[in-house]
Amino acid sequence: MQILRSLLFRLASTAVTLVGVAVIVFFVIRVVPGDPIAMMLPPGATDEDIARLTALYGLDKSIPEQFFIWAGGVLQGDFGTSITARRPVLDLVLGRLPATLELSIMALVIAVILGGVAALTGTRERGTKVEAGIDVANGMALSVPDFLWALILILLFGVAWPVFHISGRVTPSLDLPFVTNFYLFESLVRLRFDLWADIVSHMFMPALALAIPLAAIIGQLLKQSLKETMHLDYVTLARTKGYGENHVIIREALPNAILPTLTLVGVQFTFLIGGTVIIERLFSYEGLGNMAIDAVINRDLPLIQGIVILFAVLFTVVNLVVDLTYALLNPRLRNA
Amino acid sequence: MKLTRRNMMKLSAATAAAGAFGLPAFAQNIDELVIAYNTTLPSWDPTTGPSAVNPTIQGIYQSVFDQFILQQPDLSPAPGLLTEWGWNDDRTKVMMKVRQGVTWHDGSPFSAEDVAWSLARAADPATGNPINFVWSTLENFAADGDTVTADVKQFDPTIFKWMYFLTGYVLPKAYYEKVGADGFEEAPIGTGPYMVEKFERNAFVRLKANENYWGGKPDFETVTIKFVTDAAARVAEVESGNAHVTLEMPYEEYDRLKGTLNGVAAPISDIGMIFLNDIDVMLDENVRQACALAIDKQTIIDRLLSGYGVAIDTLQTPEYEAYEASIKVPYDPEKAKELLAASGYSTDNPVKFKIQTTRGFKPKDYEMIQAIVGLWRRVGIEAEIEVYEIAKHYELRAADTLAPAAFYNWGNSVGDPTTSTGFAMFGPSPHSVWDGADLIEKIGPLWGEADEAKRIEGWKEVDRYVAENALVIPLLQYVQPILSAKGVEVTPHASGALLPHLMKRA
Amino acid sequence: MLDGRSQIRRKIGLRLWLSGGWLLILVLAAVFAPLLSPHGPLEQDLFLGRMPPFWVAGAEPGYYLGTDSLGRDVLTRIIYGARVALIVALVAGSITALVGSTLGLLAGYLRGWVDVVISRLIDIWMAFPPVLFSILLIAVLGPGLVSIIIAIVVIDWTRFARVVRAEAMAQGAMDYPASAQIAGRTRISTMIVEILPNVLPTIVVLLTLEMGIAVIVEAILSFVNLSISTDDPTWGGMISEGRTSIHQAWWIMVFPLITLFLTVLSFSQFGEGLKDRFDPVLR
Repeated sequence: MQILRSLLFRLASTAVTLVGVAVIVFFVIRVVPGDPIAMMLPPGATDEDIARLTALYGLDKSIPEQFFIWAGGVLQGDFGTSITARRPVLDLVLGRLPATLELSIMALVIAVILGGVAALTGTRERGTKVEAGIDVANGMALSVPDFLWALILILLFGVAWPVFHISGRVTPSLDLPFVTNFYLFESLVRLRFDLWADIVSHMFMPALALAIPLAAIIGQLLKQSLKETMHLDYVTLARTKGYGENHVIIREALPNAILPTLTLVGVQFTFLIGGTVIIERLFSYEGLGNMAIDAVINRDLPLIQGIVILFAVLFTVVNLVVDLTYALLNPRLRNA
Repeated sequence: MKLTRRNMMKLSAATAAAGAFGLPAFAQNIDELVIAYNTTLPSWDPTTGPSAVNPTIQGIYQSVFDQFILQQPDLSPAPGLLTEWGWNDDRTKVMMKVRQGVTWHDGSPFSAEDVAWSLARAADPATGNPINFVWSTLENFAADGDTVTADVKQFDPTIFKWMYFLTGYVLPKAYYEKVGADGFEEAPIGTGPYMVEKFERNAFVRLKANENYWGGKPDFETVTIKFVTDAAARVAEVESGNAHVTLEMPYEEYDRLKGTLNGVAAPISDIGMIFLNDIDVMLDENVRQACALAIDKQTIIDRLLSGYGVAIDTLQTPEYEAYEASIKVPYDPEKAKELLAASGYSTDNPVKFKIQTTRGFKPKDYEMIQAIVGLWRRVGIEAEIEVYEIAKHYELRAADTLAPAAFYNWGNSVGDPTTSTGFAMFGPSPHSVWDGADLIEKIGPLWGEADEAKRIEGWKEVDRYVAENALVIPLLQYVQPILSAKGVEVTPHASGALLPHLMKRA
Repeated sequence: MLDGRSQIRRKIGLRLWLSGGWLLILVLAAVFAPLLSPHGPLEQDLFLGRMPPFWVAGAEPGYYLGTDSLGRDVLTRIIYGARVALIVALVAGSITALVGSTLGLLAGYLRGWVDVVISRLIDIWMAFPPVLFSILLIAVLGPGLVSIIIAIVVIDWTRFARVVRAEAMAQGAMDYPASAQIAGRTRISTMIVEILPNVLPTIVVLLTLEMGIAVIVEAILSFVNLSISTDDPTWGGMISEGRTSIHQAWWIMVFPLITLFLTVLSFSQFGEGLKDRFDPVLR
């Protein structure tokens, strides 16, 4: 009962947040200077032409009126039509979403692996130079944001030692047999490992840039909880039973230390998704974020609205899922 | 995860060979010509919406559709779907003869009906044609046999030039009415040299040669146009042989590759210029003159654009009809200092104003403006740079609220003075920011001038007046770099459109 | 375990020294830029474009770190760029701290409907992708130093508000504020006199971190061409200019990037160092 009630409360609160986001983004972008209509005027257009096009895109109505027309549409799943692409916003946005999701998830996986390895090694080698080294590396990775890591990776692996692709999502000349936009996933399903390798070598640099700060957070927190767990009685017990250090850390300490890290990863994952905006731009990766910046530059108001809303939905959904997982996994919280 | 570059190249070469794009080294073997294009194609209807007036995609449209009149690579008109065109003596009617024996891509015959319908559709504001204001100067379109006639509502001496300019395309009446706008978007057909075989939005379009093209079957049977918006990626495409032709890359890259690949860098009908708004200090003729005289255009072209550009002194390029070589604005910093001194300005007491520019919209735009501001600083002009996006520029220009100086590029692929000096400098035009009454008076009568020679002379006089009074600062004509594989010969089109049917096996 | 901890203690000192030292160098460079720079920041010579740094063949004497495509001295522009970076860091950081901490303090201490409103605002803010939001804001405000500062404040106040709210709530639950109120203070003055000093160390640490973030935001906005738009040098602007010619002239991008990297690292490490100083147990 308790859980159901708190779940309902969370859902209601999420809805309020999303409405807030919708209202703010709608009114903020109406004050953006720059006129999408003026952009499509050819040399020699007259004032009547401007008025005609403005009416065609519904931009002649008052702002509150426009809002209700738009909000009414959104409730029926109609996010309007992009001014530059002249296609439904929802199609465009959902078309790009898989690219961004794949990038974010790949980054998350890299972060978990890097952070996990760092934490486990650090715990195993605690008190030695290795641990100190891991701490320093962690500190640096944590201090510098993804944007700078991306630039550094471009310099190192794109220019100085060109190993990975630093632009795009897939080599354009490849003939893609895909029916969905989940290229990475679909190439695996279709057993097209040639395509998969190409896609990975495109995604690795941006994903790594996104992953580095998160890996540091995971490494730091997990190591800390591991250290605390290592002092607990049952771990000591396992050790006296004669299990090796690796077994003790991975089998005994890790399952108990992982919960706090898990919640944190959830929250940080939303930051990571937010970071894709600039990272996609840097690597010319054809995702949502790149489209968002183009939409701002082109003053494609319906498209900007759609993308921001989708990001907000993504963030709140991730948070919701994390909270629920935590509530289910943590017995203490379940009764609270 | 150990991928070396060589491994990867092998990998991509292998996959490419396995895929549909072959990579033969010699053009004789090129069955499928691959072009890496610098923009995506948002829509197939060449007559509506923003893409209709986007100059960069006209090359794709012109591969599939024909314009009313054919435009040759040097910008001059030639018989196309229309073989004859003209006015009656008192300029109240237009008459056009339509080419016979042409068929649409679906095999149905092309007729005068199609032309009349396309013109009427363009003139109907409800279709959303952005050039509607031009087409609606004609009315009562009628087709009779191979002839199309219309009444002139308002005389426009450039109406036939628009028939090979933006939105001047002939679409299939019967087909369009049958499938509707959405169906046409799905499966567009035209009379052009290529037919659409497969279109993957944001990725590529595959074209098949039109066997029955009235202008002769094109050289390459299949052409794939890939949309690669990133310049570095386009360079990589041709360098690796994955694409045979590409355009618009940094000039440094062009220079690096033009030995191993074929390179063509020809001037196109696109110029860089600085709008001057008649506000604040720009009302002072000395300041304007000094601004113009203190810019060393040739050095900027040589040092920043690697020499790829043509310095210009009017808004006409040498290819345009109203180009007048005798109008010159020299680089003369000493004269600039004198003029500024006459208005009480010096390097210690500089004249101050704001200059707006785009950044990354055109090659080296921001760098050029920084260089110009640096040159100005030496003579006593302190200009503050403001970067704006192109959307903002359009809005400010339409509202006549540009800064005293604003950098922009102006395309004019028909080469007519009305579509360059005319719209850019005529006060009442929403594209102009110079509102001086004397200039309006000079330009006014030229709009409806029926005597062609007199009209062109008139525009040359306007250009001279504009240059002498420094009402705008023309900077340069852009050069479009095109790289192609050895064995593919590209004929550049001065409009900037990259046309696959003009590509030949060498 | 024991010697491990003593090792960490030693490093904290070193960390504060190194990061503080670099930040001090920056401040000095910014203040004395005209004296230190070999050239003027705007001085350009098209005939000296893209000269390499001094150890590479073909370098132009006097241009130690080379020149950009307009022939401007890279070293000079890095030194002058410190001015913009520090102004953005200090001003944007402080205002963000002020706004965010005030809201956080009010929400955490006063609770009730104030907390409901502010928490809801925080929730909404957290649902925006921050980079996209800042780009949108600059598009609204127009580029320029003031716009960047406003954008940073508008986006990042939640960073302070969230943490300070939690801290203030914890402090408010303790006994001493209640006893202060019994002693006759109003709630607001209790908040300022009793609660604020206790959350101040947290605010100072967050502020240092925020300064590093502010410098990065400027660079990101420069990268999408939305930063300060005069030809005054900024590191972000230099990096984005340098990126376009990275294959021809790597030094235009590399040197400002190293400077930016060290600066962001220093701000963050300085903050972490302070955190350890204030609360050694926290680690």
